[in-house]
Amino acid sequence: MLAFALALIATALHISLCFAGAPLLMGLVNKLRAWLLGRRGPPVLQPYRHLAKLLRKSTLVPDTATDLFTLWPLGVFLALAVATMLIPSFATGMLTAQAGDYVTIVGLFALARAATMLGGLETGFSFGGAGAAREALFGIFAEGALLVLLLAFALLAHDTSLDGIATVFRTAHIGISVSLGFALAAMLTVALTETGRIPTDNPSGHLELAMVHEAMGLEYSGRLLALLEFAGMLRLLAWMNLIGTIFLPFGMARAAEILSWPGGLALWVGKLLVMAVALSVFEVSRAKMRVFRVPEFLGAALLLGMLASVFLFVAARIGA
Amino acid sequence: MGVVGNSIGLMFGLPGQGMHLHLDALSLLFGCILLPQVVAASVAGMRASVAFWAFVLGMALALLAADGFTLIFGFELMSAASWLLVMQGDRKPATLYAGVAIFSGACLIPALFLPASSLAFVLIALGAGAKAGLAPLHSWLPRAHPAPPAGVSALMSGGMVKVALYVLIRYAFINLAPAQQPWWGEALAAAGALSVLIGALRTVLEVELKTALACSTVEHVGLITVGLGLALYAKAIGDAELSGVALQAALLCAVAHGLFKPLLFIGAGEVKHATGTTSLNWLGGLMRGMPRLGALMLLGAAGMAALPLGPGFAPEFLLFHAVIGAAATGGILARIGFSALLAVLGIGAALALGAAVRIIGLGFLGRPRSLHAAAAEDMRRGPFVAMALLGALAIPVALVPGLLLDLLNPVIMLLAPEAQTPPLAYAPVTLLILAGLAALAAGFVQTRWGVRGLREVPAWNGGFGRPPAWLPFGDPHTQASATGFAEPVMRVMGKGLLGAGMTDPAERFLLAPLFRIQTRLIRLAERVRRATIRERLAFVFAVLVAFLLALGLGQGG
Repeated sequence: MLAFALALIATALHISLCFAGAPLLMGLVNKLRAWLLGRRGPPVLQPYRHLAKLLRKSTLVPDTATDLFTLWPLGVFLALAVATMLIPSFATGMLTAQAGDYVTIVGLFALARAATMLGGLETGFSFGGAGAAREALFGIFAEGALLVLLLAFALLAHDTSLDGIATVFRTAHIGISVSLGFALAAMLTVALTETGRIPTDNPSGHLELAMVHEAMGLEYSGRLLALLEFAGMLRLLAWMNLIGTIFLPFGMARAAEILSWPGGLALWVGKLLVMAVALSVFEVSRAKMRVFRVPEFLGAALLLGMLASVFLFVAARIGA
Repeated sequence: MGVVGNSIGLMFGLPGQGMHLHLDALSLLFGCILLPQVVAASVAGMRASVAFWAFVLGMALALLAADGFTLIFGFELMSAASWLLVMQGDRKPATLYAGVAIFSGACLIPALFLPASSLAFVLIALGAGAKAGLAPLHSWLPRAHPAPPAGVSALMSGGMVKVALYVLIRYAFINLAPAQQPWWGEALAAAGALSVLIGALRTVLEVELKTALACSTVEHVGLITVGLGLALYAKAIGDAELSGVALQAALLCAVAHGLFKPLLFIGAGEVKHATGTTSLNWLGGLMRGMPRLGALMLLGAAGMAALPLGPGFAPEFLLFHAVIGAAATGGILARIGFSALLAVLGIGAALALGAAVRIIGLGFLGRPRSLHAAAAEDMRRGPFVAMALLGALAIPVALVPGLLLDLLNPVIMLLAPEAQTPPLAYAPVTLLILAGLAALAAGFVQTRWGVRGLREVPAWNGGFGRPPAWLPFGDPHTQASATGFAEPVMRVMGKGLLGAGMTDPAERFLLAPLFRIQTRLIRLAERVRRATIRERLAFVFAVLVAFLLALGLGQGG
């Protein structure tokens, strides 16, 4: 009973921290990027102000849009919100652990992608259509790579839920294996593409011919845009949590032991900080790719993902 | 009519033997998959067609058959009746269709009477696979399935391929079980993976709505076959859990596909009725004129794309787990093969997502691309009832797949008696509750800090001006077309896999050589027919001489 109550509290804490902290993370990344480029940058709290401003603005609907126009931002938001709830952040053993299978998470990301693409096609103008077509292309390789990665994790952890993978990777002595290195490279590639960062897309780009994510939300305004923007922030946090849970599970708290929480929370914030710095440094040191280079970039991720499992097979063969 | 053992004998059929019917869990499952489609297709307007009911009777006989003759009789009745129906729609693919039906009959008839052996399995797999549209024998399916009226297309895609798979399942798992080999399963899984890849890729590229749906059927047949292949492999190597999960995946996929694909086909028929075309390049904005159709198509497309909370996700989820289970055991080459299979399935799932988004986004959202699409009126009553029935049945598949899997247990026990079925780790209801919580929070934030109301304005469209008055929906060419939407995929994957002409590899490497051989034989026959009397006499004389020579040599030696 006590364990359940603690797990409930931990889950509630996890969900509320993630939802409240997602804009802060985005603000932090923007600030760091600006610093690295030698600018002063917007205040770290700017995303909150931005969202509050958008909520107070009136929401416009293009006259060429159908009745489902308002549905797509909600779909994107809900899919990513559920994904964020299911991916463990600072502790393992939370109430959402049972439902948080890796394949479900991949499915939720796909659902968010589908809703974004439909939102782009909704108004029937060329920017949205072009963005959706490119997103469909990127999605093919990204999803393939993500699923292949699961094989490597499942072989190492004998579990396919994120919670189980984190628990095994934290306690068992996996060591630094070549496979996990490949898997990390593949995962980072997919993460950069899915969150729309440089080198595949430019988060600060407006009205470029080569933009992808931004293009699909161009016709949205007011509270619908706020939903889309907030979903984008949740997406960044969810991906950082995903990478942190799988590759940096050390120091994660256990939901049933309240004493381990402060350490887990502090380490979680530390890991997010490190990943934010790494992301900003990577982004300012890279140029954006041509659209048709991205499939090659993601194809390499797919191959690395497969190599990760193949190395494990070979290792098992040699070991046995 | 008399009862012999646990099967029912009918009075007609082979002299002295009659025909025997038998109902077990597997027949019952496929009967249940078929029933809603038959009801839906008849409600959607096929009630008065005799060929349609002959088609249904053939499928029912094939499912209920207790002996080889009844099975073949039902199967061929199904093929013949559906050939008539295809011919009513379009004569061109009917010949190819009949050719494939004859090929599958020619493979199945000897196979049913062979003892359990690998040869029998190969013949069954070829015969049933050709009828189910399994790669590389699939290229007739995207031509033939869109030809007949929508109700028949629905039943062909949702039902007929299932009957073919039923034959495959019954023989591979039950009748030929004594001789089973691991490579049977591996071969089926490889054919399934090929179908998934080609089917999904062509679904993204096809411009005709019905053809795209038929290609998606090839993909789903591939998914079911991958599941069956894994189960067969696991059964042969004695992996109880893997065979359970893989069978669950295959059978649940058959159930889900039997609901959303007929729904989509009947919807495509309504699109054709309302606008006169099914080409996505001439549609657009149908959600405005046909909101009920749009909502139902959205449900079907969610199933086709295997999105979470849709009817297609649970089977896909199980299938991924089955492949991961398969890659964890066995020899190193098999394991590498299974990890490639996982990549193919992932790519296939993402392609299916792109295809479903393309159908909904270009057909039903956006601006109309033609006046016909702009003037479309909402659907007729019959098809609406049919689609609503299928949609309503798809909801339990989407939301409580766990209960459905419990119902499948007797079938799995029949096919693989030692199989174990772990509980499903995908919980759509939990996801719904979490989504509801997030929606409540968003609603609270909106009412507390936001402003209400929506205002309709001209689209911003990157700052471009309004279209002229004589183009009421703007210039159709300024929005993405179906071809344009598929162009990036075509450029990156299509050219490599399908070649520059975008022809199916099965047509290029299988049908085209056959066609060349046929042309050559025709030319030879024509040559013989045109021979002069002297040539004919010379030929007869030469044969006579050769014969006598051989005879003489034989006698002398």
